[in-house]
Amino acid sequence: MATVAARIPVPFEVYRYDPASGAPPHYQRFSLELAPHTPVLSALLRIREELDSTLALRYSCRSAICGSCAMLINSKSRLACQTPVGPEVAQYGRIVVDPMRNQPVVRDLIVDQRPFWSEYERIVPHLIPDPEHPMPEGRTNPMTPEQVDRFRETPRCIACGACYSACPAVEADPSFPGPMALAKLYRFVVDPRDGARRERLLRIQPGGLWTCLRCHLCTSSCPKDVRPSERIRDLKEMAIGLQGATESGSRHAVAFQTNIVERGLLNEMKLVRQTDGLVGLVGQIPQGLRMVRKKPELLHAPPRIEGLEEVRRIYAALKDPEEKGSA
Amino acid sequence: MYRHEVLVVGAGLAGQRAALAAAQAGRDVAILTKLHPLRSHSGAAQGGINAAVGAEDSVDTHIYDTVKGSDYLGDQDAIEFFCTEAPKVVVEMEHFGTIFSRSADGELARRPFGGAGFPRTIYAADRTGLALLQAIYEHLGSANVTVYEEWDVVELVVREARVQGVVAYHRATGEVAGFAARSVVFATGPAGRMYGRTTNAHSCTGDGVAVAYRAGAWLKDMEFVQFHPTALLESGILITEGARGEGGILKNASGERFMARYAPHVQDLASRDVVSRAIVTEIAEGRGFPGGYVHLELMHLGRERVETRLQEICDFCRNFAGIDPVTQPIPVLPAQHYMMGGIGTNAQGATNLAGLFAAGEAACVSIHGANRLGGNSLLETLVFGKQAGIAAAAHAASAGAAEVPAEAVARVETGIRDRMARKDGPLPLAFRTEIQNVMDTWVGIYRNPGDLGRAAEALGRLRARIGTLRIPDGSRAFNLGVSDAMETEHLLDLAEVVVAGALARKESRGAHARIDFPKRDDVHWMQHTIASYRPEGPQLSYAPVAYTRWEPKERVY
Repeated sequence: MATVAARIPVPFEVYRYDPASGAPPHYQRFSLELAPHTPVLSALLRIREELDSTLALRYSCRSAICGSCAMLINSKSRLACQTPVGPEVAQYGRIVVDPMRNQPVVRDLIVDQRPFWSEYERIVPHLIPDPEHPMPEGRTNPMTPEQVDRFRETPRCIACGACYSACPAVEADPSFPGPMALAKLYRFVVDPRDGARRERLLRIQPGGLWTCLRCHLCTSSCPKDVRPSERIRDLKEMAIGLQGATESGSRHAVAFQTNIVERGLLNEMKLVRQTDGLVGLVGQIPQGLRMVRKKPELLHAPPRIEGLEEVRRIYAALKDPEEKGSA
Repeated sequence: MYRHEVLVVGAGLAGQRAALAAAQAGRDVAILTKLHPLRSHSGAAQGGINAAVGAEDSVDTHIYDTVKGSDYLGDQDAIEFFCTEAPKVVVEMEHFGTIFSRSADGELARRPFGGAGFPRTIYAADRTGLALLQAIYEHLGSANVTVYEEWDVVELVVREARVQGVVAYHRATGEVAGFAARSVVFATGPAGRMYGRTTNAHSCTGDGVAVAYRAGAWLKDMEFVQFHPTALLESGILITEGARGEGGILKNASGERFMARYAPHVQDLASRDVVSRAIVTEIAEGRGFPGGYVHLELMHLGRERVETRLQEICDFCRNFAGIDPVTQPIPVLPAQHYMMGGIGTNAQGATNLAGLFAAGEAACVSIHGANRLGGNSLLETLVFGKQAGIAAAAHAASAGAAEVPAEAVARVETGIRDRMARKDGPLPLAFRTEIQNVMDTWVGIYRNPGDLGRAAEALGRLRARIGTLRIPDGSRAFNLGVSDAMETEHLLDLAEVVVAGALARKESRGAHARIDFPKRDDVHWMQHTIASYRPEGPQLSYAPVAYTRWEPKERVY
């Protein structure tokens, strides 16, 4: 610890944009000599203090707890205070710093987070009293360690927005609440003190859950290991458990599974009908015709694959944790 | 101009609790913060919140521990109120939705903390501040409170012998505006960034404290600066006292558990001032590791306990120091952590200025006296945030209409424009580093008149230059130089008060350790330091300590 780590040259390319200047966005180059474990935030603050004090960014705690300094570092949504320069330089030869995605840039590395916060507001982020079970007068609600465990890692969320920036579903469909809001929703849905757990699930369902692409970019970009994609999966399971497959998204998930268990391959025609019904199928005819022109075999149900029994056993094992344990 | 009945400046736990209380009293309330409320530094508090709950503990023991921890400088009447409120606060926060850690029986888990006679620190893993901040922000969302984000407070408006609002600067747009309010609550947190080696966030620049001071508010006990014993060697990032509460121990370079020599009864869980002094003494006497630090060991606690109860600490060590606390010792050194002093208030949050209230670390009630106990600061934010909110609402109900004169806004605008127009002069961040170097070098854990005198002189030289700060950025949107310059002014004003108070106080008490006066002197110095603003430098006077049941005696841990 006492030995001073050797410094390495670190080339930076930092996104600069000031709408008031009338100039288009550009990258400003800086070259610093830094110890490899230096966080990107410290480097940016050194740039502000010694090289160019006009660089605008948000930062506060420098210890990954305030959530201010999320940005793109070599195209990944990260906290600048928690990303050391060494591995970035080793992998990319330089450090390119951009503002987060999916939110308008205000200046340099600062984005307008209002879209992110309005999704957070949309899930009604506070305990809703349960008239059947009022809070105990003058004492705390008992909660078993198991009930606390059910929150998973969601209490660690620092609302930095890295997941929202990384999410392709947010980019494709701005009405999708995004990973943070859904992880927050999960936190209330599993809270034994909340009086609206069922209503929360029902309310979020139309469009809210099923737009998730299951790409897990939110989970891999989360600096606090909150694992939003896993909580979205949990919410989907709870939603189907609560009301069955009642809408396009959940029907699609169920149909997908049925297809695989039946034949081991997807039957595209059947999948569309099972997801959107006959009326939906009619709507998809132009797209269907284009697909069939490219791949005529889509008109026929696919053959059952070899080893289908194996696939079915996997599904059975997943359904029955006992069997999974013995497998 | 913006107009509300009650304006709360700062959106950490104290500010949000004050806003909630004032809104519940039926007033029109707004919060002004330079961050987003969830990014406030309260969220960085790790270890826990003290409350005597359960049959084995008692409120009286909590009071006694706090009085003793304060080295008999805390006001005993305020401390009695504070500790009595504690269990209610915890219940309320649990009902607001805080996700606390639980013991096997489903009740709130508690851990031992420094200077406490009983394990009474309630926690949420090692992110208690974050858990509380989330819960109060969630709960505040169901109240009707307007939040102005990313606004710096610049001036407090005092007219006709009462506070009538503030002038503030909007980071996002560069707008300077008046916020008229019949009551103003300052809950702007600490000024830890007057030090370079600090656990505090970059945003902890004492804004409200300095703004109130310049407007005539009395600052109390500013010379009492707490150094947390265990901060990461290089970055100064906090390693919670909860690490020792869970059984972590400090060792010097020869592997000795040295706290046994300084605090034979409780060893590593002595009060923070005692442990910090022990660490610097070990290093000064050659028993530290080369380069000057000691080890905090958690390895003997086992992976399961360390990774579940000290999850954030594991991440901090792995990400910021490159070591794994499950298998390796953590190199630590004390760092500035907390300011016991602040805007002087009574237990209702009222200050010497009519219409100005203060709470949290920005305020000094005083309950922490010369040394704060771990777990008492989160509690303070909630107990006195609520009191300040109630008092501010009551004052607003009877006070007349408030106005912010256009000249006050224009004066601030001119000041900003002048700095932006200046062609030469120091840059704010580099200038701030100079302040930090002075404080790190000469105003540390052990103090002596020579060093303090050098600090006063150096700050005086900085004072002569601060008027020439320049901002080489012509933009309105997120021109951070404007905020940097204002924060740097705040830090210099407050650093001068710390040094003046430390030079004057000729005794050692709590966190104020004078080498030339090693003993506590209750005859002459059992009194609060009051600093009031004069253009030539702080003017000091003294006020008595409120005393109820606890006779001062020697502090032994």
